[in-house]
Amino acid sequence: MNETDKKSQKEALKALRVQRKASIERARNAVKEQNKRVKAIVAALKDGAKTVPEIAAATGFSTPETLLYVATLKKYGRVGEGPKDGDYFKYELLESKAGA
Amino acid sequence: MQTHREMNFDALVVGGGIAGLQAALDLADQNFKVAVVEKDASIGGKMIRLSKVFPTLDCASCITTPKMAASAHHENITLFTYCDLKSISRESDTVLAARVVQKPRYVEADKCIGCRQCEYGCPVHVPDPEQGNFSMRKAIYIPFSNAIPQIALMDVENCSLCGKCAKVCPTGAVNYFQQPEELVIRAKTAVLATGFRLTPLDQKPEYGKGKILNVISSLDMERLLAPHGPYQRVLRPSDGKEPDAIAYVQCAGSRDKTLGVSYCSRVCCMYAIKQAMLLSGALPLADITIYYMDIRAFGKGYEQFFQNAKAMGIEFVKAKIAKIEQADNQSVRLRYEDQEGAGAVMEREHDLVVLSLGMVPEWHPEGICPVGCDTDAFIRTPMSRLSPTLTDMEGVFVAGVAAGPKDIVDTIAEAGAAAMEASNYLNKLNKKAAA
Amino acid sequence: MADNNQKDPEPKVGVYICHCGGNISDHVDVAKVAQEAEKLTGVSVAHTNMFMCSDPGQELIQKDIKDGKINRVVVASCAPSLHELTFRSAIKRAGMNPYLYDHANIREQDSWVHHGDPATEKAVALVAAAVSKARHLEPLEPIRVDARNHATVIGGGVAGLRAALDLSRRGIQVALVEKSPFLGGRVAHLNRVNPTGEKAADLIRPLAEAVCNDAGIQVYTCSRVVRFEGYVGNFKLGLKRQPPETPEDLAKLEKWAESGKKEGDYLPFAGYYPQKVPNTAEETEISTGAIVFATGFKTYEPRKGEFGFQENPEVIPLPAFIEAVAKEKPKGGTLTLNGRPIRRVAFIHCVGSRQIPGLHEPDDQGNLNEYCSRTCCSATLQAAIEIREAFPETRVLEYYRDIRTYGRGQEDQYERAADHHVLFFRYEPEAPPVVERAAGGTYPLTVTVKDTLTFGETVEAGVDLVVLAVGMEPNPIQDLIEMMKLPVGADRFLQEVHPKLRPVELANTGILLAGTCQAPMDMGEACNAAQAAAVKAATLLSKGYVELDPFVAKVNEEKCTGTGACVSACPVEAITLKEAEHQGKKIQRARVNPALCTGCGICVAECPNNAIDVMGWTLKQYEEMVDAIVAA
Repeated sequence: MNETDKKSQKEALKALRVQRKASIERARNAVKEQNKRVKAIVAALKDGAKTVPEIAAATGFSTPETLLYVATLKKYGRVGEGPKDGDYFKYELLESKAGA
Repeated sequence: MQTHREMNFDALVVGGGIAGLQAALDLADQNFKVAVVEKDASIGGKMIRLSKVFPTLDCASCITTPKMAASAHHENITLFTYCDLKSISRESDTVLAARVVQKPRYVEADKCIGCRQCEYGCPVHVPDPEQGNFSMRKAIYIPFSNAIPQIALMDVENCSLCGKCAKVCPTGAVNYFQQPEELVIRAKTAVLATGFRLTPLDQKPEYGKGKILNVISSLDMERLLAPHGPYQRVLRPSDGKEPDAIAYVQCAGSRDKTLGVSYCSRVCCMYAIKQAMLLSGALPLADITIYYMDIRAFGKGYEQFFQNAKAMGIEFVKAKIAKIEQADNQSVRLRYEDQEGAGAVMEREHDLVVLSLGMVPEWHPEGICPVGCDTDAFIRTPMSRLSPTLTDMEGVFVAGVAAGPKDIVDTIAEAGAAAMEASNYLNKLNKKAAA
Repeated sequence: MADNNQKDPEPKVGVYICHCGGNISDHVDVAKVAQEAEKLTGVSVAHTNMFMCSDPGQELIQKDIKDGKINRVVVASCAPSLHELTFRSAIKRAGMNPYLYDHANIREQDSWVHHGDPATEKAVALVAAAVSKARHLEPLEPIRVDARNHATVIGGGVAGLRAALDLSRRGIQVALVEKSPFLGGRVAHLNRVNPTGEKAADLIRPLAEAVCNDAGIQVYTCSRVVRFEGYVGNFKLGLKRQPPETPEDLAKLEKWAESGKKEGDYLPFAGYYPQKVPNTAEETEISTGAIVFATGFKTYEPRKGEFGFQENPEVIPLPAFIEAVAKEKPKGGTLTLNGRPIRRVAFIHCVGSRQIPGLHEPDDQGNLNEYCSRTCCSATLQAAIEIREAFPETRVLEYYRDIRTYGRGQEDQYERAADHHVLFFRYEPEAPPVVERAAGGTYPLTVTVKDTLTFGETVEAGVDLVVLAVGMEPNPIQDLIEMMKLPVGADRFLQEVHPKLRPVELANTGILLAGTCQAPMDMGEACNAAQAAAVKAATLLSKGYVELDPFVAKVNEEKCTGTGACVSACPVEAITLKEAEHQGKKIQRARVNPALCTGCGICVAECPNNAIDVMGWTLKQYEEMVDAIVAA
């Protein structure tokens, strides 16, 4: 890509950002909120494996929301399933942070 | 619209689920050129989203993916995925014209290699409907792991336009400026294989309108049981508890006039029994109860499957569930009149309740295609006894659940039948043209 | 690329191990299997994948082929009957000979039956065996045989008629073979069809007429297949046409004679009569490319004493009832049959269907009908509604286990029956209704049932007539099953290869299934199946040739001494002795007709000189596999 192409691409992106202002704003806010939750859950797991109700208690999030995040962190390889504790599984941090 | 393409085929198949793919394969194997138009980003329909299938308990993927791959690689089949069908109309005695809009994926299909680097790089999480919203995907993603084609797409509604995906894409496939493309697909005949969706969960106030924790749909349970599922095991979605008591509410969206679904959806008994069997394999200690009105295990090997389930200890209770409520500890309380005991009003609590929802048509032809529907909203088949796939529009045939609820076995047979009708219709036109 | 394989003698095997989404990987440590596979002689790469049969899985193999990493492929996954073909096609598309492939079944033969370490060990052994075999595989070419543009449909019921007509319209010559003098099968024994209420006559007559007036279809009534030989594309069938002799045929012919109708007409409860019956037996032979089975069903014959059958003249099966009622003019009031008013009629469901071992008595051959016959619920309701509408003074009682009105329009019928005040009683299989001669009173019979709809109350009702909703059984075609070696399921219906992958095909290539010879179906479903079978036949025959797998016996002429041991051992007469010249002397050498050979290998065992081998399954390959298993 030469300089002029790069420049026009930049301009076009800028225009697109204006056009999609509302949804971009929404997505950015969502990312901020999500990152807060991910951070809190990761922090809660730093001092040992926990079940979903335990993570929820530590973070103050609801249990359904906690499970949604745990499932997602597990999918992208940041959290793994640990041993079972009663009717619940414990979740633990994994070393690799790929994709999360 | 930036571009506009026109193409000619012998046959157009609307819908890339198992019915559409089987019809397309049966036509293409006879050397007819076939276009398959699919609204989703992947072919495979509902079947590829299932865990295992009754009564053989084959994994759904094992049966669906070969047909998906065979269609994708067939020299006589062209797949148009992620496309909206705007209209089908008769252009002449021998030509049907379909106007189709290729929705933008914001990823160039010929460049994407399906490596998922964009997905890993994207910072936005979005609840994933492909996983019953039990886990999240990114704002740019491959639809699911065995999707065909393996091409990423962008969810612009949730995209923050941060540019990360474009940066990490090794082939420069991300294109934020992609525009819809209008296609005109001309064919001599068409097969409608537009399938179903579940009866909506939220219309029945007695069943909590979808607001009660741990009341899920049967397709949600398919995801919990599937190998690529959100938890890779069965957990109740409210808090990750491994459920000890699971209940099925049969006819939750069928045989119910209040929902406008007075018919039997034909598959719910069998899929509930199948899921119950899979659950008792996954959770050997769990109690599984199926609340039903009539068990309709009518297909080949189905009754034996039902009897096996009873022998395995799955409990069948003949009762119509009157009300579903939230109980303590995120459990679910069912209230019902026990028809086989003393007839008293009973209450029982379960960790997880599955609503065996029925089938309603996924697609309504009004304003798109001049083909008639019946009072049940499925496509009308005026000669249902002798030529079950004929519609009231000449040269247009129907297969699978588009013509009323049916299971996979019956759907595949019907797709073959539709392909037979379509090939003989093509033959007739070709003979006329030659004369 | 295919050329490369031949120029490159060094086998480089790629091993691909499938998780099968947990089906395999829940019990087999697939990563370990891959690790072990990598250590094997000749293995270049070993990969695992969640679903090898998916597109990404197949692409993994294709990429390794295209990159020149491998020239032999082993996939360890499910049974080869499911996906051997899938992987061969994938390999072929990548430019490699599709027969340089072997399949290790680590699902049905391993993870579904073994658990833990033994499962993994067995998977390792099976993969090692497949790799050893693969190293000794040679490229093969499929056998191409000409296919006759002709199909034979056996059975002239609605499925057979439907299939014949579709095949002919597709440009394929058709022979339609029907054992009775009439066309229309069991549908011709209905008055109205369910749930549309159309007259069976209005559907069968035009269909049969279309078939009989079609120049491409040769109809043979009163005919049976008595000889069978050949293979897909080139079957030879011996047909015997003979004067009718079964009581059912003779009774129908008598009815026909009474009606005074001419050939080419339809008589309800007999069928469509296309041609005169023969006076003498005659045999013909037809050459045909594909065979469609549409041999249909017969109704269950209740045992003597089953719900009072044959002990009370007032107990009759549903088909007899339908025929009897069809003769009565709807005149309001009470139904009369044979001059007897029927004030109350009881229908008993699931007679000869849904039988449970230990509860129900098997027939004299030890068979139980464990399946649901699918059509009886709605047929019974249809009969109930017709009576309530035509003879409103006749009350209808139904005794059922589950009402299975599953089809489009059938649930409405159930509701209509209820609206017409049909009384329903539900029974458990352990406590079926009891039919007895009444001790006195106004009704000849009483039906007593423990009704679970009223919380187990015992209900006794006097009735004038009991109708048994008898189920379906496959027509007795044991002669054809043995002659053609057809697979039959535990339910005695013909068994398809796979209900979803190949639902209308039998394992016998070129023989297809249409309708109720496969399983109970209603008329529309049977027509769907018939058309699906027809489209498969059309696909087989439309190219003019058929390709067969090359796994057939091959003679090594250097070693063969012409003993003829293989000739007499061959069960399908695929081997002959041919005269050849060797160093000026006339000698005998075995020769295999590859189209007839089924690759069974009996000749291999019989040959005293080890001069015959099955391609793709040679003795050498077997030895290598056995060695690998022993070593593992």
